[in-house]
Amino acid sequence: MSPLSSLPAASQTQGSWISRTGRVLEEMRRRLRFGNGEWTLGEQQVFLLLAVVIGLFSRLAVVLFRITIEYTRLMLLGSGLVIARWRALLVPSAAGLGVALLVMKLFPRARGSGVNQTKAAVYIYDGFVPFRTVIGKFVTCALAIGSGQSLGPEDPSLQMGAGIASALGRRMRFSRDKVRLIAPVGAAAGLAAAFNAPIAAVLFVIEEVIGKWTAGVLGAIVLSAVSSVVVARWFLGDQSLFRIPIYHLIHPAELFAYAALGVIGGISSLVFVKLVGYARPRLMALPRWTHYFQPALAGLAIGVIGIWFPQVMGAGYQYIDQAMHDQFPWRMLLLLGAFKIMATTLSFVSGTPGGMFAPTLFIGAMIGGAVGGVERHFFPWLTGSVGAYALVGMGTFFAGFLRVPMTSVFMVLEVSGNYSIILPVMISNTIAYLISRQYQRTPLFDLLSRQDGVDLPSMEERREEHALLVEDAMQPCQDPILSSQDSVTDALSRLEGTTGEFFFVDDGRGKWYGITKHMLRQAAAEGKGGVVVGSVLRGPPLPHAHPDHALDVALRRVGDVPFLPVVHRADLTKLEGIVSLEGILKAYREAH
Amino acid sequence: MQVERRCEQCGQLIPWGEQECPMCSENGRFLWSMRRNTLLLLSFLVLIILFVITTFAVKAYRAKERALARQWYVSGERELTAGHAEAALEDFRSALVYSPNDSLVELELAHALAAAGHLPEAHAYLLGLWEREPGDGKVNLELARLAANSGSVPEAVQYYHDAIYGQWNDDPAKHRRRGGLELAEFLLSVGQKAQAQAELIALTADLPSDPARETQVATLLLKTGEYEHAAPLFRQALRLRPNYTPALEGAGEASFEMRNYRDARRYLARAKRAGALSVHSQSLLETATLILESDPLAPRLSGQERAERALRAFTQSTERLSGCAAARGVSFENGPQQSDLQKVNALALALRPKVRERDLARDPDLLLKVTDMVFEIEKVTEHTCGEPQGVDLALLLLSRVQEGGNE
Repeated sequence: MSPLSSLPAASQTQGSWISRTGRVLEEMRRRLRFGNGEWTLGEQQVFLLLAVVIGLFSRLAVVLFRITIEYTRLMLLGSGLVIARWRALLVPSAAGLGVALLVMKLFPRARGSGVNQTKAAVYIYDGFVPFRTVIGKFVTCALAIGSGQSLGPEDPSLQMGAGIASALGRRMRFSRDKVRLIAPVGAAAGLAAAFNAPIAAVLFVIEEVIGKWTAGVLGAIVLSAVSSVVVARWFLGDQSLFRIPIYHLIHPAELFAYAALGVIGGISSLVFVKLVGYARPRLMALPRWTHYFQPALAGLAIGVIGIWFPQVMGAGYQYIDQAMHDQFPWRMLLLLGAFKIMATTLSFVSGTPGGMFAPTLFIGAMIGGAVGGVERHFFPWLTGSVGAYALVGMGTFFAGFLRVPMTSVFMVLEVSGNYSIILPVMISNTIAYLISRQYQRTPLFDLLSRQDGVDLPSMEERREEHALLVEDAMQPCQDPILSSQDSVTDALSRLEGTTGEFFFVDDGRGKWYGITKHMLRQAAAEGKGGVVVGSVLRGPPLPHAHPDHALDVALRRVGDVPFLPVVHRADLTKLEGIVSLEGILKAYREAH
Repeated sequence: MQVERRCEQCGQLIPWGEQECPMCSENGRFLWSMRRNTLLLLSFLVLIILFVITTFAVKAYRAKERALARQWYVSGERELTAGHAEAALEDFRSALVYSPNDSLVELELAHALAAAGHLPEAHAYLLGLWEREPGDGKVNLELARLAANSGSVPEAVQYYHDAIYGQWNDDPAKHRRRGGLELAEFLLSVGQKAQAQAELIALTADLPSDPARETQVATLLLKTGEYEHAAPLFRQALRLRPNYTPALEGAGEASFEMRNYRDARRYLARAKRAGALSVHSQSLLETATLILESDPLAPRLSGQERAERALRAFTQSTERLSGCAAARGVSFENGPQQSDLQKVNALALALRPKVRERDLARDPDLLLKVTDMVFEIEKVTEHTCGEPQGVDLALLLLSRVQEGGNE
């Protein structure tokens, strides 16, 4: 039966042009001998090719997404930076109502930022991100961000990329493993498209979504991110998101100011996480009918703030740019940072779809700029550009709030294109990260997923897990070690008085064998007492391990052998110790 | 996000919000019947279509951005011209949102910031522009103006120089001249005459034949005391526009300061005929006339005329001496004669019996002696009582001419 015959009539009509297109493509494929004979691509090759396609699709989707946000903003809030009072009050609340209706009725999975949803797709749903979510995310986020909700487009772009990738991967009928890996590939492309920064995007996906470097997926992620950025530059040029101020370290003592920025950034990111973590479950627990009004009320509150501080409405890139160019006095920067924390908390906890990246960068830039401004006020001889503080502040807050230290460093480097800023960035980011980690054990994304009742793997916990090593289960070898050149009789005499049955034989060239007393006695009984032990050995050499090997390596290698020799890396003939299956299991038990 | 039921067919979790298992249900759909490579080709086809759509969307948005940038820029210009700097600020900032790297808008924003009194912000903005284009003439000029306003002389001079020798897209010579003039005016305003002179002299090297420009530079040179360089410039301007009052006044002043009182009177008189004279020029004209009419040693005078002038000058100067002494409380009565006024009075008293018109006309030595006495009295009284007015000033200036001649 044709697959089309089971579809309803409308689908048949729709299917007729699709099937014609399909036939044309089949013919093209046949004539090109593509996929037929020598040009047939294997799954891995298709996977890599698809990564490029995903990158391109994601970028185009993100470009359209950004343009839609901008048009929405122009239509709803006007083109000026100053927003009319009535618009500030009416638009975000009315749009909030519309967004809530869309989310509740049509796109329930569009809620939230998108990062955890992508992680859930990878770890729970075998890489499945419904395409409807991509559409939902596009529509609801464009409306929310364009109407002034204090959220950003990056995390939704990440989810849209993952959704596009998932749809393509499933259509390509990849194996389950590949489909599971394809969502992060799309996520990297989406994020790279949103940031115009491929390295940061790749690192974020590895740091926060996958959690480990695997060659299989790394190539695809890099390919998709790069192809995405190439298209971005085709459309938008190679401009970064912001006009970056030039940075010079005026005096080494200025690094203290950056350390202070790290402390302040760490504390404020902590406040932000605590606010979100406190308010979100409480609002979620309210009766379902209130969820229709929560984004509208958040919008109204943001509108009230927006009357005096229109900068907090929307993603706010233009204000980050202004902060980097020293356009606000430090008190104003401080106020903007504080109000943005409030506005973003309101938007996010109310369930409005939208991302946290742009607000994070905004708050960081404002706090950084304020610290720079204060320093310039009190120590003018020590301060370079206040804009550099805003730039470093972005990374600092990013590191403290999202807890992705590597991404935060590389993001600033990539966005600024200035390697000399690495020192302050590293100092400040590390301090903020450590403060945040000390006082908020669970990182934001893990906190959110746990509030949702889903136990997604915590990448931070995974990174910091103490990996058990062979040395943790290793024991000294008490029994004599035989040489393959010993005679059987000599070997038996050396083993007299030992209680064990299994012994190691060293062939003197770095290979280790196992032999039992029984085998030696049998050889002696057969009149082979004078022959060397090496000639009575059976089977291949034993697998060995090194003390720094992960314990699971030893577990996989130990097999049926009672003991595994643990040898020195520089001298394979030197036995450091032995591990047994029992010892390995004991080490695992003790670790828990 | 909630975890829900498992698919009975494949055992996988059915994502929340999905009616049926997406993996199992999709297998029956049309696209699933296509071969993988056909789908790949289809993807490329869709990609091309999407690419075209995106290109159109981006172009439309770019056009909209350009229009908005223009609209806000024009509005900002209007506000700035109307003196509403704060409103202009927001307009230029809005323009920059749609045209982020437009240096013209950025410069105008810096202008508006400075006009609104946000000097640190304006400075920071210009510094940002400068970091991007350190050789840009406009940016350097704006930075120089800000530095000049804040009284940072070395910084201002540095930026002015960078502006003068920087890059200008249109008519660089004109911009360099303007920069140079502005710098000279700034230097004069902070009392750095020597540096201003150097700048102005450098400017005269490639000055176009424009009476207004030449007069402007020459007038600044006058302010620096560079009369020798100013006078030819005024004359050059007058060759092109003979009745150009500012040039006539300037030429008159330059001639006066170079003690060429005849030329000074000529130029100033022409200026008077050509239009209204400034108070300063009128005063110069009167002084020059008095000098020319009071000088007993002027050439082509009859002996009688010389004697009359010498006698008038002696009378005038001794009156000035008495007035000055009275003003300073110096007595010429008997007693120790120690002050300059007393000493010169004693000399004048000794000479007075010989100062008769007939003797002066006959005896050139006596005439010279009397004239010297007059000049000495004027110098001493100027030293004690300050610069005189009218005929006394004329005689004092004549004494300086004589002094210069003797040197």
